[in-house]
Amino acid sequence: MRITSRYVLPLLLAAGSWFPSASHAQVSAQRIERAAAEPQNWLTYNGGYDSKRYSTLNQITPANVKNLEQKWVVQDQVFGAWESNPLVVDGIMYVTERPNDVMAIDAKTGKLFWLYRYTPSPDARICCGANNRGVAMLGDTLYMGTLDAHLIAIDAKSGHPLWNIAVADTKLAYSITMAPLVVKDKVVVGVGGGEFGIRGFVAAYDAKTGKEAWRFNTIPGPGEPGHETWNGDDWKNGGASAWITGSYDPSLNLVYWGIGNPGPDWNPDQRPGDNLYSDSVVALDPDTGTLKWHFQFTPNDGYDYDSVQIPVLADMDWLGKPAKVMMWANRNGFFYVLDRVTGKFLLGQPFVKVNWASGLDLNGRPIQTPQPPGMPTWPGNQGGTNWYPPSFSPRTGLFYFSVWENYATIYRKEQQTYEPGRNFTGGGFTVVAPAPGAPTIGIGRKGPINNWTSEVGSGATVAVDPHTGKRVWTFPQYDVTDAGMLTTASDLLFTGGREGYFYALDAKTGKELWKANLGGSIVMAPVTFEIDGKQYVSVISGHTLVTFALRN
Amino acid sequence: MADLSAEPNRCKHRLARTIGASLLSAGLAVSVLPERAAAQDHQYSAADIQAGARLYSSQCALCHGANGDGVAGINLPRQQFHHVSTDDDIRNVVTTGVVSAGMPSFKLQPAELDGIVAFIRSGFDLSGTPFKVGDAGRGRAIYDGKGGCAACHRVDGKGARTAPDLSDIGAVRQPAAIQRSLTDPNAAMVPINRSVRIVTRDGRTIRGRRINEDTATVQLIDTGERLVSLAKSDIRTYDIAPTSDMPSFSGKLTSDELADLLAYLLSLRGQ
Repeated sequence: MRITSRYVLPLLLAAGSWFPSASHAQVSAQRIERAAAEPQNWLTYNGGYDSKRYSTLNQITPANVKNLEQKWVVQDQVFGAWESNPLVVDGIMYVTERPNDVMAIDAKTGKLFWLYRYTPSPDARICCGANNRGVAMLGDTLYMGTLDAHLIAIDAKSGHPLWNIAVADTKLAYSITMAPLVVKDKVVVGVGGGEFGIRGFVAAYDAKTGKEAWRFNTIPGPGEPGHETWNGDDWKNGGASAWITGSYDPSLNLVYWGIGNPGPDWNPDQRPGDNLYSDSVVALDPDTGTLKWHFQFTPNDGYDYDSVQIPVLADMDWLGKPAKVMMWANRNGFFYVLDRVTGKFLLGQPFVKVNWASGLDLNGRPIQTPQPPGMPTWPGNQGGTNWYPPSFSPRTGLFYFSVWENYATIYRKEQQTYEPGRNFTGGGFTVVAPAPGAPTIGIGRKGPINNWTSEVGSGATVAVDPHTGKRVWTFPQYDVTDAGMLTTASDLLFTGGREGYFYALDAKTGKELWKANLGGSIVMAPVTFEIDGKQYVSVISGHTLVTFALRN
Repeated sequence: MADLSAEPNRCKHRLARTIGASLLSAGLAVSVLPERAAAQDHQYSAADIQAGARLYSSQCALCHGANGDGVAGINLPRQQFHHVSTDDDIRNVVTTGVVSAGMPSFKLQPAELDGIVAFIRSGFDLSGTPFKVGDAGRGRAIYDGKGGCAACHRVDGKGARTAPDLSDIGAVRQPAAIQRSLTDPNAAMVPINRSVRIVTRDGRTIRGRRINEDTATVQLIDTGERLVSLAKSDIRTYDIAPTSDMPSFSGKLTSDELADLLAYLLSLRGQ
């Protein structure tokens, strides 16, 4: 059953002006732009347009972090990995749960104001779990993409839908799992479906009406630059999804978006060419959707190395000059620094074992070294890292993210014919195992008892110096990890892993300062906020959303 | 790696010194539906299995995983399902989907469905390794007698716990893999079953086999059959044996005896 809505406009218009007031401030575009100035809130998926996931809150410190205690818990009502990232706005937390529920929670007590349930069409096809990673907010309105590729505007006070529009055709296996990004008066979303032969896009919608403002096709059509990187009709079903939230630089008026793998995933021979803009970052004008520049990480990818990581933006000295850079730890195993004004390649270094390429050339293009059939490729299918949100601390100057170490996959190519709505992956893969039939790793944890062992791969939280691309420290984990990162001005790094430990590490050294066993996989990035002078940290582990603060 | 032979062997049974621990991965306890037996009457051709494997990797593997265990509570090669027992049940679920669980329906040809069923029933065995299955009754006598298996392994509450419990081994491992475990245990050993030797900071030496491990802790069953959980911060040395304590039965049992023993092990399907 689908909840359709025809509530449209009046509520939003009735809400009055966009100007914030002291007692009851709406989330204006200006506020989001200056998110760093209000660290008591977590206003976007990544905490701010630069996606640093760095908070200036510093009440919790390395010295007192051992005094953290659980303040409240909210239990998920549905089954499956909980990858959502909460927003916190003026004391209220907005978080989604599977498949497309939204909750408004008193961020101080964990008590619910409302729960909105949307049931996506049964036609929805999601390759890798019925996930939703969160909402965006503008004014008094929340925005959620759905598994059946709709975009819904929801009144933040009541949880009632305001409008609901189809972004794409779910019968062709388009979906939305990412949190939208609000830029000025528009809501920007990208689509999933890269394993089903979609043609991907990023699109912007008028925040008040839901009317489409622009659409950037991630695969250029005939006559457009980049179309020559496709052969024949391959572009029509070439994938290039966009399933993770992008970033925005107001000073350059550019949004940056990571683009997913080309399709069919594992048979690059079937789609000769670079396959732009798959596995790329694109810089778009947020007013028009016009492409300003692109950088492709993995041309003609045969490994499913989605470049759906979050573009992390920072200003720093580069070779003695001030530079506006973008940092990017890619699923393909290389860490990159780009000039985000021009897209110029500045640095690239492998951060895990890599054998699909022998290195990068001067322009950052990989020198590809495909392995013989039946031989392992490092990193494996889930990548050296993946969509897990990283963090950059301007204080330490280090870039933090989750990696999978010693993890390899054997790929198999097959010719495949596209059929609408069916998987279009062109082969398969197996994870390299230490013995025939031994348990291996993949998407999601297999259960509470680890019988796959670290011999098929293990996880780590790492800190990389963007000026060298080298690891400064490594915090090893026994199982692999899909957790995101949060850093604070007291040089704490909060993260987790599949084993259910929630860690506070010393951001400078990687030393473990504190941990709590929360008992379920942490598959999101922690957030921090402040209410009534108290700093809180929230994390989702398994089916519980847990919020910590210092003991009174 | 430490030389484990230097440690006094605490296994109570004489044969355990030679047969030792480890090897057949009992993995997680798996409940197998009784209707599974009915499925045994079917024949699945190599061509069906291989066609099914190709279809599986293109249509099913993204959710169910390359190893068939990607959806919680379901393990396809181990025949562990939510709603399915017979071959026709599998066909029905594939063609109608399970909306509540997020599984879509697939429009497949009958021959394609046969392939999927065959691939699942084979336990995802792409190797095509030949194996010989003898008489389970005679195999049981070998297990209890000449093989001395119960000195370390346990079946239905009888035998030692130092090596993995085999009560459901026929449900959780492919026939070819069990045969390989009997003839070449080192090559077939799953890492979790390797023997470990731990010395704690307070000087205790613990030998046993891991049953679970994470970044901060390890849980094991020691050679005295005690369940032990240790914080890694309390461990001074932690050695994992590179080889299996179990001997190869190649040459110790005739090929007919091995076939009988395999038949018995395949008959063990748990509760």
